[in-house]
Amino acid sequence: MAAVDPKAGGGAQTSEFPEWFLKKKRERLLIVSRWVPISLIGLPVLVLLAIVIYPTIWMFFHAFHNTTLMSLTRDRYQFVWFDNFENVFTNERFLNSVVNLVQYLVFGAVLEVILGTAIALMLFSVVKWNWMRTVLLICMVVPLMLPPAMTGLIWLLMLTPHNGIINEILIITGLTTEKIEWFSTSLSLWSITFADIWQWTSLPLLIVYAGRASLPQSIYEAARVDGASRWKVLSRITLPMLKEVIAIAFIIRFMDAYKYVDKIYVMTSGGPAESSELPVYIAYQRGIRDFQVGEAAGYAIVIFAVAAVLVTLFLKYLKKVLKAQAIA
Amino acid sequence: MAQLQIEGLCKGWDFPVIDQMNLTVEEGEFFVVVGPSGIGKTTLLRLIAGLESPNEGRIILGGNDISRLPPYKRPVAMTFESYALYPHLSVFENIASPLRARRLPKREIEQRVMDVARLLKIDQLITRRPAEVSGGQKQRTALGRTLVADPEVFLLDEPISHLDAKIRHELRAQFHTLEALRRVANIYVTHDYAEALSLGDRIGVMGQGGLVQVGTAHEVFEKPQTLFVAEHLGQPSINILDCELSTEDGVLIACHRESSLTLPVAQAHAQQLKRGNASHVSYGIRPQYITVIADGEAVCDSLHVVDCTVSLFEPLGTYAILMAETAGATITALSSPEHRYEQGESIRLGIDTAEAFFFDAVTGKNLVL
Amino acid sequence: MRDRHYKLVATLMFVFLGLWTIISLFPYYFQFITGFKGIEEVNRITPTFWPDEFLWSNLDLVFSDETNVAALLDTLLIASANTALAVFLGSLAGYALARFPRQAGGENMAFWILSNRMFPPVAILLPMFRAFDTVLGSTDNHLSLIILYLVFNMPLATWLMMVFFRDAPRELEEAAYLDGYSPLRAFFKVTLPQVVPGMMSVALLCWIFAWNEYLFANMLVGSNVAVNTIQMPGFVQGAQKLWNLAALFSFVAVLPPVILFMVLRRYMVRGLSLGVVKG
Repeated sequence: MAAVDPKAGGGAQTSEFPEWFLKKKRERLLIVSRWVPISLIGLPVLVLLAIVIYPTIWMFFHAFHNTTLMSLTRDRYQFVWFDNFENVFTNERFLNSVVNLVQYLVFGAVLEVILGTAIALMLFSVVKWNWMRTVLLICMVVPLMLPPAMTGLIWLLMLTPHNGIINEILIITGLTTEKIEWFSTSLSLWSITFADIWQWTSLPLLIVYAGRASLPQSIYEAARVDGASRWKVLSRITLPMLKEVIAIAFIIRFMDAYKYVDKIYVMTSGGPAESSELPVYIAYQRGIRDFQVGEAAGYAIVIFAVAAVLVTLFLKYLKKVLKAQAIA
Repeated sequence: MAQLQIEGLCKGWDFPVIDQMNLTVEEGEFFVVVGPSGIGKTTLLRLIAGLESPNEGRIILGGNDISRLPPYKRPVAMTFESYALYPHLSVFENIASPLRARRLPKREIEQRVMDVARLLKIDQLITRRPAEVSGGQKQRTALGRTLVADPEVFLLDEPISHLDAKIRHELRAQFHTLEALRRVANIYVTHDYAEALSLGDRIGVMGQGGLVQVGTAHEVFEKPQTLFVAEHLGQPSINILDCELSTEDGVLIACHRESSLTLPVAQAHAQQLKRGNASHVSYGIRPQYITVIADGEAVCDSLHVVDCTVSLFEPLGTYAILMAETAGATITALSSPEHRYEQGESIRLGIDTAEAFFFDAVTGKNLVL
Repeated sequence: MRDRHYKLVATLMFVFLGLWTIISLFPYYFQFITGFKGIEEVNRITPTFWPDEFLWSNLDLVFSDETNVAALLDTLLIASANTALAVFLGSLAGYALARFPRQAGGENMAFWILSNRMFPPVAILLPMFRAFDTVLGSTDNHLSLIILYLVFNMPLATWLMMVFFRDAPRELEEAAYLDGYSPLRAFFKVTLPQVVPGMMSVALLCWIFAWNEYLFANMLVGSNVAVNTIQMPGFVQGAQKLWNLAALFSFVAVLPPVILFMVLRRYMVRGLSLGVVKG
């Protein structure tokens, strides 16, 4: 006969837990050999360590020294404390580029997410035939497939002030009367931004589209039965449910936006007169073209740190918002 | 000797689910674990299978301690409640899976799989994918997979819960007749007590923390050790009245605390109750021991008759549930569906007090065993 | 908004969608037509919307040059090798994080792996330049890019594969264990087939990234090994700015990702929706 506990199963709650329960470890016990997870994650981690940790340490090390490429090969550099970091926050050229970055992010990444979301939702609600949706989607995603550098060159060609096809179209359609100087000091950053919008809007578009496609149909049917107007459906059902997806699209876009300097490189080289420079581009130039390794390391570290902090904060905020939404 | 022994098994997450459980299932025995959903029945099976690691305790199979063995080294086969069939493989491959793991020769695999498929009457379906067969056929495929594995203990997790009644009946019959199951220990989990009573050589009623009572079908049904066991077995549920025992004219009676109903205590019970000095009890009487007394019908002595008014009558095919009110208390009885009773109708019910149970109101223990 | 206004709004939206589609495709079309124009036509003050004369000979000009063909082949090799490696490593890590989160490092590990994607390329370039120089003798080979692209592709692969593995039901693996398969065998027999669609989308994303990468390629390789993205500027850096040939070459170079996407688009949408919605 098995051990019988009259208290158990009677609905009577034991107020004290047995000893073995209190002593037990909190984490989930493994049912396979301990080595399985270790060996699985071990290899990738080793690889990443080699190609990431090493550079990171290297960068940190040299950020505290006044290294140049010359002194690097001769192993002659001096410890300069926080000079490089001080430079980051006082260098006018760099600060200028930060302003440019803000403009670029707002009218680039943010606009891309908004535009992409709008197009994705439009595609979903207005186009009724599935084949058409697919065709349009593929067409809209083509920009994503192109190398950013090549995109930059193509737009460079198209935006050429004196014989570019964009100017031609604008004049033909009557939107402007004279050819626009796309690469003047005031417009160079905008040119890059336009190329950027053209290329990257399809990423949030794709993501939000996929998210929208995976929303349960039943809710929409119920809303239709209830007689909800389309605007209400959009604002009360679709958008709240897509909050997470849109946020993720934004994070992905953000993470890529501030580090892609391909377009600047090929379109304007930061000019004219440094008007279209972005922080990462400056780090790049100072480090590789001007050989100021230490200075560049300082820039890189600050940029990365700020971005990491922003993304972490955003993720934490997102988690909180989602938890509240899940409970409610 | 494929005897399964569980010693001092403990497992808990946020609270203890299985607390110091001991159990022995003999070779060839069909042991059914029955209990409410979420109580830990599946956890028990998973512990035996090796899919969970116990916090403490040992599991011994055929004399070998398998507690530390990973699941793929234990001679155990299990059918999952969700069948867990491999969707990308055919029925044949699903059944053949354990044999392929052992890298047996192709010819042997084919023969054994077809034998089992024929036995379970799914040999026509072996080329289909799980998505293309019905629930009952999926069930049989899952069962086939465990049969073919020829383990030392079979674990069956609610294998027929999700099937419709007719197929359930068919498969129950199959469990009775399958030779292979009779060669080793079997543990069958279900929340349906009728299934348990039908299939089990022994039944274990599982409550919070472990097995509350283990015994034959007759024992757990007729001699429940606790209120929980009595309540859990039986459809419709046993009538439970919260009563105070008192003596009236030297005779022990049970007074319902929430109404004015009093019921006499049968002699056999009275002696034991007086000896144990019980006062506050849960009085239990199964609906099948309460019958409707037709007008003019003779009444035997053991029946205590009460006048009631019908509050609900539910004809259910072969039997009917009758709920009636008497002296402020509601009791449930079984009756035949032929005579229909109207709500508010006055009837007389005869309660067979010799079949009453008395449980201590605090501990739930059966006071008269 | 009232439903009777909806028809108007819907038409506007339709028009907008059409417009955006045209905008999306136009530069590509422009690339195409420029590729077949003569160089004088390209340099004209007023650009044309269709070549005056369709110069098929441009194809010959571009591809009879060995270096151009070699560039495409080199890129193919690098992208494919890197994708295979990234998906392989990413699957291992993704599986570990999905099935054994605690033992594999938990959320912290996952976040650390993902954060590597945020690394500014600059930070990697300088040190790795020197590292490759010393270890491999030079950076101008396939290996340097194959390894370097892992910095960005492996985290992506890990993150997405983790989500896909989480979606694969655990019970199937458990059933396989009980059938007698060790974790390794169970993985190949049961888990892997479940995530193949997801893997396809991950592989596609990684491949496209590697194929389109410019910065590292520009810095690290050039003479021994060339990549399609750095070939294109080459056309317009000489004495004559051969924009038409550059456009043609880039048009051809961009065909593989586009075609791959069209062929595998089903996996892309499914993969992204699962990866993003649940990640």
